[in-house]
Amino acid sequence: MTTQKNHQLSATFSIEVVSENAVLLSWPQQISAEQHNNIIVLQSALKQKLSSLIVDSVASYHCLMIYYQFQLISTEALIEKITTISTDTNYVLNNPDDNFSNKQQPQACIQIPVYYDTLQQWDLQKVAQHCDISAEEVLKQHSSTIYRSYALGFTPGFCYLASLPEVLSVPRMSSPRTKVPKGAVAIAEQQTAIYPNESPGGWHIIGQTPLPMYQCKNGKFIPTITVGQRVQFYAISKTEFLALEQSATL
Amino acid sequence: MMTTNYLEILTLNGKASIQDLGRLNTQHLGFSVSGAADEHAYLYANKLITDHYRKITACNESTQETCPALEITLGQITLRANTACTIAIAGADCQVKLNETLISNWQCYQLQADDIIDFAMPKIGLHSYLAVLGGVKGDEMQQAWLGSFAQTENEMALNVTGNKLKVRSKLFFPKQELLTATTAQKQRLKSAKQVTFFEPNAPELFYPQSQITLRFIASALFLQLPLKKQNAFLTTNYVISPDSNRMGYRLTLKNESIPKNKILTDKLRASCVLSKPVTYGMIQLPANEQPIILMKERQTMGGYPVLGSVMQTDLFRLSQMRPGQGIKFSLTSHQQAQQQLQAFYKKFV
Repeated sequence: MTTQKNHQLSATFSIEVVSENAVLLSWPQQISAEQHNNIIVLQSALKQKLSSLIVDSVASYHCLMIYYQFQLISTEALIEKITTISTDTNYVLNNPDDNFSNKQQPQACIQIPVYYDTLQQWDLQKVAQHCDISAEEVLKQHSSTIYRSYALGFTPGFCYLASLPEVLSVPRMSSPRTKVPKGAVAIAEQQTAIYPNESPGGWHIIGQTPLPMYQCKNGKFIPTITVGQRVQFYAISKTEFLALEQSATL
Repeated sequence: MMTTNYLEILTLNGKASIQDLGRLNTQHLGFSVSGAADEHAYLYANKLITDHYRKITACNESTQETCPALEITLGQITLRANTACTIAIAGADCQVKLNETLISNWQCYQLQADDIIDFAMPKIGLHSYLAVLGGVKGDEMQQAWLGSFAQTENEMALNVTGNKLKVRSKLFFPKQELLTATTAQKQRLKSAKQVTFFEPNAPELFYPQSQITLRFIASALFLQLPLKKQNAFLTTNYVISPDSNRMGYRLTLKNESIPKNKILTDKLRASCVLSKPVTYGMIQLPANEQPIILMKERQTMGGYPVLGSVMQTDLFRLSQMRPGQGIKFSLTSHQQAQQQLQAFYKKFV
């Protein structure tokens, strides 16, 4: 039988042993900028203080997965270290003169140009009908909100952005498309995102951006949007889209 | 003049890609870990070469262990060497022929220029590995991408791990030691077509026959379930579905009858809706209650409820199983899983 492994540390998060080499930290299931900020502050503290043990860490809305070298430390000792560091980080979060919290000051908001699907090739009209508003209103609602990037995943450079205005909430498509175009701007439930490359996808496409979602330079992968950043969309015309698309491929 | 050393693909009907142990540290950017589906066969192939190399050169230094190798799915590939090279074959038995002569699986061989090596479709298993001394690359100038040469089908559009392998693709390998070995060593190598055995035990014994019981580490969600529901999962006979691949293994129920009671209530299901990071071997349970086991080319995030994670040494075994074969689940602890994995890697050091 499994050992007791749901370590309730405090009211804030629990630690679960999910694999030989991974532990999952879970906070209450909610989309909250404040909670998410605590998660990524803890992530950067853990990465810094346990750099010789941690192989990778992945943050999302309410979770932080820690991959570590299980040959170098027992799971129990790792959990103890994480607990200690989280206590220190909590202290730090509550004391604004600390360097961790300073690093997380609001950065500039990334502006993403979107050619909204006014020619009705994709799902803008269907979304408008579902939400019982005009296509113009969908566009206005989508571009007037400032989103936060909560997670990077699914495919390289794919960012989960939230929260979408409630009026735009639509469930995922019952059957996903086999091909979504590169740069597709899509929505599902409380989230919006951009498909970095052509891929399968089950979200509703309301527009397309000519802005590349990543760069591969000198053996490095640089995502356009990083976790924790703020993002806003703005509408462009088809002509502007084509011009920007061309300059992006040069 | 610069000489290039390669194996050229002459025919290809199955699937082939270049794999190593994958990129373990870039899931935070959204990259799939990827890597060899069956680490046992992949590491075994490289280990055969390491031991051979040590014998010939009497040199203990080797970086062969995690060199990229060719992963062949369902055999059906023919290659020609343009120059002499040391290779090893392991994994699903493809009745490999070296210039029309049948050769044994799980062995190391010395190829000469223009030798032709042919893999038939395996009768059991899925993935076979062809390792070459020094490793293979799809492009001579190919550099490791974020620490690995592993190719991922869904990421080929990024164009960072070379081209998808097809007929006429070349698998480049570095200039081989053999070419600079002493005459005596050359003679020794040439006279022995078949070389080295590092493990007296039959490596095939690592794999199960027709059905497997997968040992898994329970998730917090699973431990929350009433005993009756836990037992329902542990006593169900599943079958591997045909839409399984390197990303995930989909399971269906062995008996067509759908159980009256679901394992997860709608209420519990509603408590796991936000996407979260997922790892190798996680058992997801979508609303149709047909489990999906996440494999090497999994995505980094998932939204389905998770019952636990299959221990990694069992995942290597699972990767060789085919649609229609049976699956059951049993519980293990993370300590047991860690011990098994550590012992597994020790065999290949």
